[in-house]
Amino acid sequence: MAASFLIFKGGKMASPRVATVMKQGKWTPWFYVLPALIIMTVFIVYPMINTVGLSFLNKDSSASAATTCVEGEACWGALENYRYALTNEINTSTPLTAWNTFWTSSYGNTIKWMVFMVAGTVIIGLVFAVLADKVKYEPLAKSIIFMPMAISFVGAGVIWKFMYNYGTSQVQIGVINAVITALGGKAIPFLSQPILNTFMLIIVGVWMWTGFCMTILSSAIKSIPEEVIEASRIDGATEWQVFMQIMVPIIAPTIVVVITTMVINTLKLFDIVYVMTGGNFGTDVIATRMYREMYSSYNTGRGTAIAVILIILIIPFIYMNIKRFIQQEAIR
Amino acid sequence: MFKKSKFWAILSVVLVASMLLAACATPAPTAAPQPQPQPAASDISCEGVTAGDQISMLYQWSGQEEERLNAILKPFVDACGVAIVPEASRDQALLDTKVQAGTPPDVVFWGSTQLKQYAEKLVAMDALGVDAANYADYWKAMGTIDGKLLGLPVKADIKSIVWYSPKAFTEAGYTVPTTWEELDTLVEKMVADGKVPWSMGMESGDATGWTGTDFIEDIILVKQGPEYVDAIIAGTTPYNDPGVQEAFEIYGKWAKDEKYTIGGAAGTVSTNFNDAINKVFSTPPEAMMVKQSGFAAGQITTTYPTLVYGEDFDFFQVPGVKGLQGGADWGMAFSDKPAVKALFAYLASNKGGEEWAKVGFDLTPNKAGTTTYEDASLAKKAEMLAATTGFVADIGDAIPGFGVTEFRGVTDWVNGGDLAQILSTIAAAQAEGTK
Repeated sequence: MAASFLIFKGGKMASPRVATVMKQGKWTPWFYVLPALIIMTVFIVYPMINTVGLSFLNKDSSASAATTCVEGEACWGALENYRYALTNEINTSTPLTAWNTFWTSSYGNTIKWMVFMVAGTVIIGLVFAVLADKVKYEPLAKSIIFMPMAISFVGAGVIWKFMYNYGTSQVQIGVINAVITALGGKAIPFLSQPILNTFMLIIVGVWMWTGFCMTILSSAIKSIPEEVIEASRIDGATEWQVFMQIMVPIIAPTIVVVITTMVINTLKLFDIVYVMTGGNFGTDVIATRMYREMYSSYNTGRGTAIAVILIILIIPFIYMNIKRFIQQEAIR
Repeated sequence: MFKKSKFWAILSVVLVASMLLAACATPAPTAAPQPQPQPAASDISCEGVTAGDQISMLYQWSGQEEERLNAILKPFVDACGVAIVPEASRDQALLDTKVQAGTPPDVVFWGSTQLKQYAEKLVAMDALGVDAANYADYWKAMGTIDGKLLGLPVKADIKSIVWYSPKAFTEAGYTVPTTWEELDTLVEKMVADGKVPWSMGMESGDATGWTGTDFIEDIILVKQGPEYVDAIIAGTTPYNDPGVQEAFEIYGKWAKDEKYTIGGAAGTVSTNFNDAINKVFSTPPEAMMVKQSGFAAGQITTTYPTLVYGEDFDFFQVPGVKGLQGGADWGMAFSDKPAVKALFAYLASNKGGEEWAKVGFDLTPNKAGTTTYEDASLAKKAEMLAATTGFVADIGDAIPGFGVTEFRGVTDWVNGGDLAQILSTIAAAQAEGTK
């Protein structure tokens, strides 16, 4: 800093002495990132710390959560909101009911979303990427698959809500039920039937995000050196063997990054569930539950406790994602 | 070149500075009233108000509803020269954050739950010098928290009514039932005739189930009476009491069965509440009756503009109901400015009640408006309201933070859940909300 000041003092540029011009003071980098740091602290770090603090208080933040304990029931003191968040949806009277209610609770549903949506988007995206690579109309095919990403989650929710519509009169306005009744079957209430509805919602999520996975995996596939593929074909490998044993291992790092990104997206998912069922009929996920506790029941303590649980669940995946990202950058 | 860049630099600084000055200047009041001639109706008191005083208002009404509110407030605004700075939003979180931040609007028209929620921050009606003589005791009881009346009920609606088509009834030879047993017989007769008696629709986004809770509360009013409902609201009767259980079972018998309601359980939970109203008046009608609040009239006229009230659609009170279930939007004050005092005095006065009824912005709890309704259906509802002795609030509205649990419980019940467990979950939420 002092060196650069000396150079410009005369009002004209001195002949650049590379070593001194390029040398930055110890504090200079901090000044460059200071504006961004301030904004991040105010809008992200402070609210996060505040949220954690609020999760130990009661519903209007006036006293500690320990005061909401009910006599005769288990109490975790200041962690009472966490006890509620973790156990309220689960009926612990017998192991069987605990198992069943776990799988329709927000945690069970979130696990279902994570497993099926991530598997669905990555596998279908990978298949499309490989297939699109082989056809002439590749740009057209990829644009069509990618188009659902252009609409908002809420828009997708509304569209599919109409598609799944279950009408009680003779006329079915939902496409799927119209097809079913035209073929002579009985209409199915997709969104209100307990286990089926979560999978119907997952289909919507997969429909939206497959384009994203396909695009990233497609660019990864294109970066596989042609010689390796040709050599394997000459050696007599079938297409399936080429795919599974050559292509997938080569793009494995990209697949991991895509998986972790999709997991993070899935854990945050709120709009689809909220718009299509409002979280009813056993379709709750963690984010809709948090919204309901905060803004429908006005219970700040519980809402923030659920938010903190969500953060804790996401942290490992963010860590993996960043680690992979740094590794990838180092290779370039 | 250096001079030119200096010129542009100075010009841009001057431009930015002038924009800043313009943005940071205090805004002029929206209505700059000229000195008014003395108002003909001198029963609007403008004590302490100077022309140009501002009142900031927040309410949920927009479009046609907001026009009606403006028409009602017009005599007051003209007489006192007050400038209203309105904001319309349906977002509860907006109001919550404003109140929590300490910058609430002067006047808020919102739900009755907010009376309890903001009890410490509201200015009581006595502090505003409001004379609440025009309001029935049950309204005052509903709005009194810890001994102080914290708001004025302004826009009321009654829920314990059933909408039907008189034409369809006369064609089939049905008469309007007057007791609960007659209603039961009528329902069975409709089923025997091959018609579907009820149209039920619970779907409503994340408030799905509220129509079910309304129906159940009306059944409780029939079987148990208004004091029982008040005890539930106060928390002294737990929600899993046998009286409530009976009401759930009666409702379930109708809501879960295809014979009694369109589509049975699946139909009830998937049909939107507005669609359910429309189904009774379609050609041919899919059902004979729908139990719904007064706003159904607006829904019917919007969907079927050719239908005439009285001939094609009409309503009767839930037979055998002791008391009436209903709700109101409440006017609440966060400040005690003279202009706010004058506004509330106007709303509570005879003139205010008459204006409200004349404009027809739903029912007015102000007794002065009982005879000045121009809309026939509103007049009929107003008679029911005036004749009742036991008016109760919606349980979900009266207990803060409880409504959502109740809605989900009823939805689960119709979808096939276990009644005892559902009732104890709701009872736990009730206990928390009434602590």
